[in-house]
Amino acid sequence: MVQTSNPIEFEVFKNLFLSIAEEMGVTLCRTGFSPNIKERLDYSCAVYDANGDTIAQGDHMPVHLGAMPLSVRAAIDAVAMEAGDVVMLNDPFQGGTHLPDITLVSPVFLPKDKKPSFYVANRAHHSDVGGMSPGSMPVAREIYQEGLIIPPVRLVRRGRMVDDVLALLLANVRTSDEREGDIAAQIAANRVAEQRLRDVVFRYGRAKTMRYAAALQDYTERVVRHAIKGVPDGVYTFDDALDDDGFGSGPVTIRVAITVKKDQATVDFTGSAPQVTGSVNANYAITWSACLYAFRCLVQDDVLYNAGVGRPIRVIAPEGSIVNARRPAAVAGGNVETSQRITDVVFGALGKAQPDFWPAASQGTMNNVTLGGQDPRTGRPFAYYETMGGGMGGRNNMAGLSGVHTHMSNTRNTPVEAIEHYLPVRVRRYGLRRGSAGAGAAPGGEGLVREYEMLTETSVTLLTDRRVSAPYGAQGGKPGGKGRNTLIRDGQEQPLPGKMQVTLRTGDRLRVETPGGGGYGLK
Amino acid sequence: MHGSTVATNAVLERKGAKVALVATRGFEDVLKIGRQTRPELYNIFVAPRPPLVEPHLTFGLAERLDATGAVLEPVVEDDVDQLARVLHDHQVDIVAVCLLHAYANPMHEQQVAHWLRQSGLTVCASHEVLPEYREYERWSTTVVNAYVTPIMSRYLLRLEEGLRTADCGPRTADRLSIMQSNGGCISAAAARAQAVRTVLSGPAAGVVGAKAVAEAAKLRRVIGFDMGGTSTDVSLIDGSIGRTTDSRVGDFPVRLPVIDIHTVGAGGGSIAYLDTGGALRVGPRSAGAAPGPVCYGVGEELTVTDANLLLGRLDPDYFLGGRMAIDRTRTERVAADLAKRARLSVPDLAEGIVRVANANMERAIRVVSVERGHDPRQCAVVAFGGAGGMHACEIAEQLQMTTVMAPRHAGVLSALGMLVADVTKDYSASVLRASAGLTLKDLECASAPLVAAAKAVLKAEGFGPSRQVITVSVDVRYVGQSFEITVPLTERYRDAFDREHGRTYGYSNPARPTEVVNVRVTATGVTAKPTLPHTRVRASYRPAPSALRPGRFGGRAVKVAFHRWDDLRPGARAAGPAVIAGGEATVVIPPRWTFTVDGFSNILASLPVR
Repeated sequence: MVQTSNPIEFEVFKNLFLSIAEEMGVTLCRTGFSPNIKERLDYSCAVYDANGDTIAQGDHMPVHLGAMPLSVRAAIDAVAMEAGDVVMLNDPFQGGTHLPDITLVSPVFLPKDKKPSFYVANRAHHSDVGGMSPGSMPVAREIYQEGLIIPPVRLVRRGRMVDDVLALLLANVRTSDEREGDIAAQIAANRVAEQRLRDVVFRYGRAKTMRYAAALQDYTERVVRHAIKGVPDGVYTFDDALDDDGFGSGPVTIRVAITVKKDQATVDFTGSAPQVTGSVNANYAITWSACLYAFRCLVQDDVLYNAGVGRPIRVIAPEGSIVNARRPAAVAGGNVETSQRITDVVFGALGKAQPDFWPAASQGTMNNVTLGGQDPRTGRPFAYYETMGGGMGGRNNMAGLSGVHTHMSNTRNTPVEAIEHYLPVRVRRYGLRRGSAGAGAAPGGEGLVREYEMLTETSVTLLTDRRVSAPYGAQGGKPGGKGRNTLIRDGQEQPLPGKMQVTLRTGDRLRVETPGGGGYGLK
Repeated sequence: MHGSTVATNAVLERKGAKVALVATRGFEDVLKIGRQTRPELYNIFVAPRPPLVEPHLTFGLAERLDATGAVLEPVVEDDVDQLARVLHDHQVDIVAVCLLHAYANPMHEQQVAHWLRQSGLTVCASHEVLPEYREYERWSTTVVNAYVTPIMSRYLLRLEEGLRTADCGPRTADRLSIMQSNGGCISAAAARAQAVRTVLSGPAAGVVGAKAVAEAAKLRRVIGFDMGGTSTDVSLIDGSIGRTTDSRVGDFPVRLPVIDIHTVGAGGGSIAYLDTGGALRVGPRSAGAAPGPVCYGVGEELTVTDANLLLGRLDPDYFLGGRMAIDRTRTERVAADLAKRARLSVPDLAEGIVRVANANMERAIRVVSVERGHDPRQCAVVAFGGAGGMHACEIAEQLQMTTVMAPRHAGVLSALGMLVADVTKDYSASVLRASAGLTLKDLECASAPLVAAAKAVLKAEGFGPSRQVITVSVDVRYVGQSFEITVPLTERYRDAFDREHGRTYGYSNPARPTEVVNVRVTATGVTAKPTLPHTRVRASYRPAPSALRPGRFGGRAVKVAFHRWDDLRPGARAAGPAVIAGGEATVVIPPRWTFTVDGFSNILASLPVR
């Protein structure tokens, strides 16, 4: 074998590519307008090779891991990109995750290139992309109700904004000023990355840069294969369920059989429920991301995330099922809820192979709360979306963390003082939910409780799970406490279902209690 | 003048005060939740980060303001009295009072603090420490302050006492001043009250010292590169020292102005190893002082210092001025083992270790320069710390920087920094209003009380009007953004903001409305500066090397000229490859670089532009 790379250059190029992804993130976060981008950091940035395979992705959002390269490929397939172009998309059936996640893909042409040598892309969660309810995370029956669907289209052509496309987008969303600002921030992030990539190529030469881009992927693949080798060969099965789809479906089962053979794994979801009416359908990109996340966790070194992670893994997700839905399924909750349950079953199955390593179930939901209406102070519409942390599952010899985002999300909370400044909402309580942790030798973490008081008539959409089933315990540990949603009107408390849309009156309060983590080991 | 790590160590070692937290009822867990994120995405065994306040010392108080500062629920004096009794029973050292929206209206915090103080408790309230919005960050800063204040206070009282009893001249104790994390100093009395401002004073002093030597050598734009045994601190000086309010101490955000220092876990003692994918990694694990690098005779794992030795970049006869013997044979044995596993030759491995360490540090330089909108190519590197001079030229070359300065007294730069630091005080107040509805006069009114307070304090510390410099600035952002840019307050602050936004992020939009988040006042009391000893350089000369030894650069074996720094006179001029060994630091001059010794006995290395 001819040695095409050495261990030293690996580190040098790893630093270069990773710093590009991180600089994109800094630009996006500091100049973004949606609270989702600037406060909650709900975005991902990455650099891709000429095939659209990831070279380096920043440590941003796990749920975007596998989905981002699918968007890049969708953009490549749909648009013959020229230098200076930026392609925009959010279609979940063409590389997107759910509609609020808008992805911008830019080609990077090197001197004399006829085709791009690299691509850069970033994906950010926008506060509103239209549809039947403010915040665009509705309890919907089909994707057409969820918001504006954007197939891969040019937003910028040869460096010039395509105003028609932008106008069409802005006409379809509730908070257009904010959208325009976020889009500008996203374009700026891609520009930063394009420039930095050109600098790297100028410094190290095209051939060497390309060679190391490939070597970095091979390297990550080796690390992941090495980790899989540590899992005993065998077939491991597990199943769990989502509570329901918001339209009375009852439990929606997700079943997995993982076959580990030497340094590779097949993750087979055959036997999972068919796709459902409500919005908890996951498209393939989500399922793929959840599997990549689980296997990335298997590696306990800080290995660079790129396309190499996926090479030893095969995912079988039957078309038309809850884990690979077909158009026109509603998918808003697939990204945030189903992705968590897919992770739960993959972790659960691997826990049978390595009981000392894999933890009990974490909260298993992102507790999506969307608020919208008209702000009486300004007369302008508002749309606000947030997700809430909960209990992490207990680990071998280590309690789960309390009040944190787990698995597929790691978004921040919005400060109470910021919410109250910008929205006609008052937060009456925000704290840990005592008693929600699952008992065990190592208990799970506690969930959170947040109570909102509406200062005006407000449309509220809840997309929350683990209100019926509880996060499982591991190795004899007890399950975590289920979540609970409550409306408090005129002093009377009434329970609310996990997934619903409701219009609240001034003075009404909404209390969201998030699930605790399962316990680990017999107490 | 005094700088200290007492406060920092108290936080890092969790040896601070017994702090009680009084928070708005319903929000007692804000500090436990933080921003609800886990610090590592893929680590199943991610460790908890317990807050500085013990769970049973957190108390909720019924009261509430809204976002405009209007009272929704008043504070009840009886509640506070009752709370005071409980706090006394617990024998807490200090109470942090953290209430929602105290930045908009401090009245409730003032009432609570007043009543608690009347009962004999020591109190620190969030609006006193950081009157800015975002409860987690404000409260965290306040609690860190409470946590370090009693310890710092005791320490300073002992120090002042010591200065009084020792014969240090008249009123030395009264003139004692303390280095702050922002690079300025404050009186001991002020430091006792707000110890959080001194938490990062150690590295700050080094940067102030680096600026002083750079200015003396007529270098205006400088990247400070402080490479020690376990980590490297990088900072940017563009005429003035870059500052940030986005810093952490240990696990906790502290949102006060501090020198913008980016730290990476790579230093001379960083350990090299092969990971499971076969890549060569360096750090963040460090051999530290014990066991130390292999060449010191005890350590068994190869470090960056060992690699430098193997590459012929250390003078084995004059390491640390001859105070330390080093064992090359031992180092070669350990290196041969790792080289075999990496399938590399020993020299290739050694050079690789240096390159990997350099790549980590190069990224740190990018963070403080490129990510902040500065072009590093317009800067010189000032290299200090034990190992800075050994790596600076190669890193500079990677970043297309062509000037490196290694100050003569790199080891005592912090001490110099403390001598030349001015007295600096920062004040801020939240505004949170759209620029369109604000006149310059409004903003001047908002800043006027801060300016008056600043002037009074400087005067009390003995700075007359001629030695006061007051600057007023505003934190501005486009309406809807969350990160602000600080620009000087003038009639045209809006234009300045657009310009800075464009420079930093690549775009701006003068048509988009902006808002002013805070006004900031920085008050400087200009101190008398010592002058650095300087010799006029009359003529240059070519110094004779003390030895020629085999070394290695860029994969090639070369003869390296070794010089002793003490033997070089101002005006010395020679070309690389060369190594200049001093008692405190070693400077490596790679091939193609040349160096001169200036009138301060600093080494100035430069790379001819291609």
